[in-house]
Amino acid sequence: MKKDKKERRAAKRPAASDGPTPARSAPSVTTAGGSGRIDWKALLTDWRVALVVLLVIGSVIAIGPHLEDGEIRTNLQYGLDLSEGAWLQLELKARVVTLEPSGSIEDLATALGKDLDTEVLVVDAGRIEIRKALPDDEIRAAVERAGGRVVSIQQGVSAATADDIKRILENKINSLGTRDAKVNTLTGLNGIARYIRIEMAGVDMNTAQEIVGKQGKFEIRIVTAGNASEHVLFGDAITSVGLPAQEPPGSNSWGVSFTLSESGATAFREAAVRHGAVNDPDSHHLIMVLDNETVYDAPLSTDLAAKLRGGENVRQLFASTGVGEEGKNDATALEIHLRAGALPVDVSIAGSGSVSAALGDHFKMMSLLAAVIAVITVGVVVFYRYREPAIVLPMVLTNLAELAILLGICRFIIQLDLATIAGLIAVLGTGIDQLIIITDEILHEGKVPSPNLYLKRLARALGIIVASAATVVAAMLPLVLMDLSTLRGFAIVTILGVLIGVLVTRPAYGRIIMAILSR
Amino acid sequence: MVAIPLVVLAVALVILGFNTLMTGMPVTPGMDFAGGTAVTVFTDDTLEEIAAAFAGYPLIDVESGINDGKYLKFGPMDDDRFRALSASIIERYPDAKIDQIGAAFGETLQSQAAIALAFSFILMAIVVFLVFRTLVPSVAIILSAFSDIAIAAALMNVFSIPLTLATTAGLLMLIGYSVDSDILLTNRVLKRQGSIADKMSGAFTTGFIMTSTAIAAAIAMWVVALLGQVEVIFQISSVILLGLAADLMNTWMLNAGILHWYLEGREAR
Repeated sequence: MKKDKKERRAAKRPAASDGPTPARSAPSVTTAGGSGRIDWKALLTDWRVALVVLLVIGSVIAIGPHLEDGEIRTNLQYGLDLSEGAWLQLELKARVVTLEPSGSIEDLATALGKDLDTEVLVVDAGRIEIRKALPDDEIRAAVERAGGRVVSIQQGVSAATADDIKRILENKINSLGTRDAKVNTLTGLNGIARYIRIEMAGVDMNTAQEIVGKQGKFEIRIVTAGNASEHVLFGDAITSVGLPAQEPPGSNSWGVSFTLSESGATAFREAAVRHGAVNDPDSHHLIMVLDNETVYDAPLSTDLAAKLRGGENVRQLFASTGVGEEGKNDATALEIHLRAGALPVDVSIAGSGSVSAALGDHFKMMSLLAAVIAVITVGVVVFYRYREPAIVLPMVLTNLAELAILLGICRFIIQLDLATIAGLIAVLGTGIDQLIIITDEILHEGKVPSPNLYLKRLARALGIIVASAATVVAAMLPLVLMDLSTLRGFAIVTILGVLIGVLVTRPAYGRIIMAILSR
Repeated sequence: MVAIPLVVLAVALVILGFNTLMTGMPVTPGMDFAGGTAVTVFTDDTLEEIAAAFAGYPLIDVESGINDGKYLKFGPMDDDRFRALSASIIERYPDAKIDQIGAAFGETLQSQAAIALAFSFILMAIVVFLVFRTLVPSVAIILSAFSDIAIAAALMNVFSIPLTLATTAGLLMLIGYSVDSDILLTNRVLKRQGSIADKMSGAFTTGFIMTSTAIAAAIAMWVVALLGQVEVIFQISSVILLGLAADLMNTWMLNAGILHWYLEGREAR
């Protein structure tokens, strides 16, 4: 404690030759003899300063504040804390199993699918996806029976299946005319997705749950004569739907296979026979209708017609969609239609939330207020320290420029929510800290240095700043790479803010403060 | 000089350890990690009226804010119950904010957050070592950053601030604020000429104003969030305030003390 007291005394002592800037005494800005005027032209043509000015102008244009119905609007995107909407996080009830097969992994997957009575897909040479949330020991036992060894079992689906689910959900939400929906799969570093997050602007939670849970009305009909058609079966008769595939494999001729229930297959055969489709397929097309819209229209193939004519119930059907890229795209669309919005795996709601318009606006106002008051408070504290508007003003303006550029970038890449706003204010805080470091480093010894010495000191200050910026970036990096919902936005904002500060605004501040101090 | 912050750190670790023994977590987890439903509404209904209205659901807690803000917390429940609850909340309070996290999802978030925090700290430590390349000063910085976080976390238990995604963000922000002043101090003291005491007091002048502005900004946030009843920002700014207060002590007593000892030892040699 004794030493500490001695140091405090030292701090109050007037500056010695190599001593520090005395606390709270205003740095002697006027001691350096100069013209007394700032060379604005030289300052503004300095590339560091010019870059900041350009970026701020660009950002303001990007943010685009404008008056609309007597209110100030901007182009900033708001996340679900700050604007009306709802989010749902769904857990995908499936397993990805890493295993060592004794034979071919395809055979193993087929055998497992039969054994467990569920869809089993091959992900890659060492992994399969089981589309059911079965207990681990049941999976281990089944894999052993099928002649393989389980290495590990993870909850979730493969990246490809996650993409399918995302597409199905997007399709469903868009078809229901919901504005502005976002679907994100949260895929881990191992390529397995366990959760999927849906954000819908402008709806409350119950509507969101309804939309996601809702299934389309799917129907297969058969053309009787001309435009008239008869009902054959509904979507509930379809027990499973395959992925878009080439039939025969490698032929570049695309389609989707699907399986009918036993009663569905009977209804199908009876309708085809009754309306004469088995004898004259071309005038009795099969049509598929989703929510009163025809999504598929084609005749029976000759060998299918022959089988049905022979009285055989066919459960495994293949709807071909054509060749090449177009056929493939059509097959992809048809797969979703066949599922009628049902997902390939079961889901449960892992988390959800909603904000009303009124509360969102309230939070928006409060965030703005918090930021404004924070800037003012910081300005007052800095003024208390330096007592010199010529230093404090550029400092606060640099800080604001940093904030403007950051918001300008955010407008394109990120939605603002309460966590990112907290990140913005934190950036503001560390930003002003670093401007203080620059100022004190340059004013060391209480007088304005010669340009040469000045640049040396600026370099030293930037050295400190780069070191602390690097630590902040390092600390935030794990949050960007992992997905912890709102924390990701927070970390991105913090890292961006630090980078803008180090690369753009703080070097410019060094140049500005030099021009001001050496006038 | 070093003794006081070390004692405070030890007390903080005891609090965290005690909480771990009692609840299984160093800081009591909030809804984000434990699962449950949080509701924010603005209403002049009394707490009793609200409790009666939702008596059929696992209501854990109802609190009131300064104006008409009310915070309701429900324990975990299944999908169907939650649907019924959210329907009745929206019916009664159309402007409510509802957030629900399932228990399993909360656990995932919790383990992910723990991994993230550990990685953050390790990466930060590596960068500090790379910058200074000397053992004692680097360890001093890392120790005081660790102490900042530990003390802030312990104080969260004292003031019953739950560990949520937002407060985890607050704790991580402390790393940034903490190393800022530590690096300034270490850089000034190691790389400048002059007597140790002069360099220390010079660094203190700058560092103290840095932390003061950060504290001022955090107080501004805290007050607005308290009056405006923005729970997320209120919690984050509370954690930052607690951590910055700890940082003042850790930078200027713990870190400065270790550096002082280190430099005197080096000069004596």
